[in-house]
Amino acid sequence: MTQTPYKILVVDDEPDLEHLMRQRLRRDVRSGQYTLFFAQNGVEALERLSEIPDIDMVLSDINMPRMDGLTLLAQIPNIAPDIRAVVVSAYGDMKNIRTAMNRGAFDFITKPIDFQDLRVTIERTLKNMEEWREALESRDKLVRLQNELNVASKMQQSILPTEFPDSDHCTIFANMEPAREVGGDFFDVFPLPGGRIGLAIADVSDKGVPAALFMMSSRTLLKGSAIGAMDPGAVLKEVNDLLTEENEAAMFVTTFYAVYTPETGQVDYANGGHNPPLVVHPDGSSTLLPGTDGMALGVFPGVEFGQSAISVSPGDLLVLYTDGVTEAMNADGEEFGMDRLQAVFSDSPPATTEEANKAVFKAVHDFAGETAQSDDITCVTVLQR
Amino acid sequence: MEISVDRANEVLIAKVEGRIDGANAREFEDALNGAIAEDDSKVLLDFGALSYISSAGLRVILLIARLLQKRNAAFALCSLSDPIREVFEISGFDKIISIHDTQAEAVDKIGQ
Repeated sequence: MTQTPYKILVVDDEPDLEHLMRQRLRRDVRSGQYTLFFAQNGVEALERLSEIPDIDMVLSDINMPRMDGLTLLAQIPNIAPDIRAVVVSAYGDMKNIRTAMNRGAFDFITKPIDFQDLRVTIERTLKNMEEWREALESRDKLVRLQNELNVASKMQQSILPTEFPDSDHCTIFANMEPAREVGGDFFDVFPLPGGRIGLAIADVSDKGVPAALFMMSSRTLLKGSAIGAMDPGAVLKEVNDLLTEENEAAMFVTTFYAVYTPETGQVDYANGGHNPPLVVHPDGSSTLLPGTDGMALGVFPGVEFGQSAISVSPGDLLVLYTDGVTEAMNADGEEFGMDRLQAVFSDSPPATTEEANKAVFKAVHDFAGETAQSDDITCVTVLQR
Repeated sequence: MEISVDRANEVLIAKVEGRIDGANAREFEDALNGAIAEDDSKVLLDFGALSYISSAGLRVILLIARLLQKRNAAFALCSLSDPIREVFEISGFDKIISIHDTQAEAVDKIGQ
């Protein structure tokens, strides 16, 4: 057991018992396993419990003057709620034993005391108490972790933009639903010189806290690079080189980054290993943005990233998404897939980007049904006016 | 997810069956690390029976690729179904990991 001796309070009105106990348990006391304290009745026992707050276990007789053992049992939780009590009763005294157990006694032994049995009972009681304490500690730790996760979740959500450009030329909307408290997906929408807008969507390998940390740094690096360079390919190259510098954990982030000019509908983009975005036309048909030469960021240093450009016309809807959309699963293990995503808009192209996002999330949730969400779901939509 | 291991022409062939996602990526990593011996210099993952791989799974592939690269060991994948191959193509991983159509072709290539 542990180094500090367990403290056991023995409560009995027989004056000889103290001597007997010290005699019989002397080896355990000497080896530092237990320290014994004594009280002659319930009143004295409560006094001792108040004086010595870290007593681990009470071993108490039932019939005693001033305050009996059963009354003592009822009082103990007020003073020392975590203590384990064992009662000593007359052989066959089932009535009192039952009462004692009902009042929270952990175990009982019978008189005359069999010291071998007593030793086993003490061991078992202390082991149970130790486990109980560990469980309490784990619970406290869990509660603390849960609180920290909630804070992290709030921090993460708070760096994602919630206000989006809405002008004569365009309207934009974006949101993310993390699968756990914190996610590995992110998006960003930020103004660039010349009335242009930076659009980013990204997905970090894996989920949870490590992914969230990687996501935070990726997002900061991307925004930093984007403000300094206009070529999306150059931006991804710079972020990739920075992310690969120190990446022992082999995390990576698939990233689509575009510089969008609302006035003309020009979209310059580079794709770093991300799912190809979709352009939905006013008639409900849709096309995938052709890939640019590139790969997920953080994997390989020095990689060049190609870029490409398209032009969106009024009424066109640009849809950026993460694989949490296309790889959402239903109870039959089927994936939501690209076809279903395209079908969301095939009949009725949405009037606003907020509606577009709602339609995507609704379709994914309807499809998944009761199946638990296993990945973060993120969608960014841009409607050219 | 199940892994069965075989050796042919000094190539360690690990056949992976089922799905690799965030829930079992760690298990997959441990299983591969356990299967690959210190002196294995040629490692092939046969994905013929793999039904799904998430980004967490790709990360494990990347970790293994790096580990083997440090040891100057050859590493390749084979028999990817179309959806799995697409995952490797979209993420760009096909640029840094060699992918072969069949196990025989792969063993032939890296077994030399």
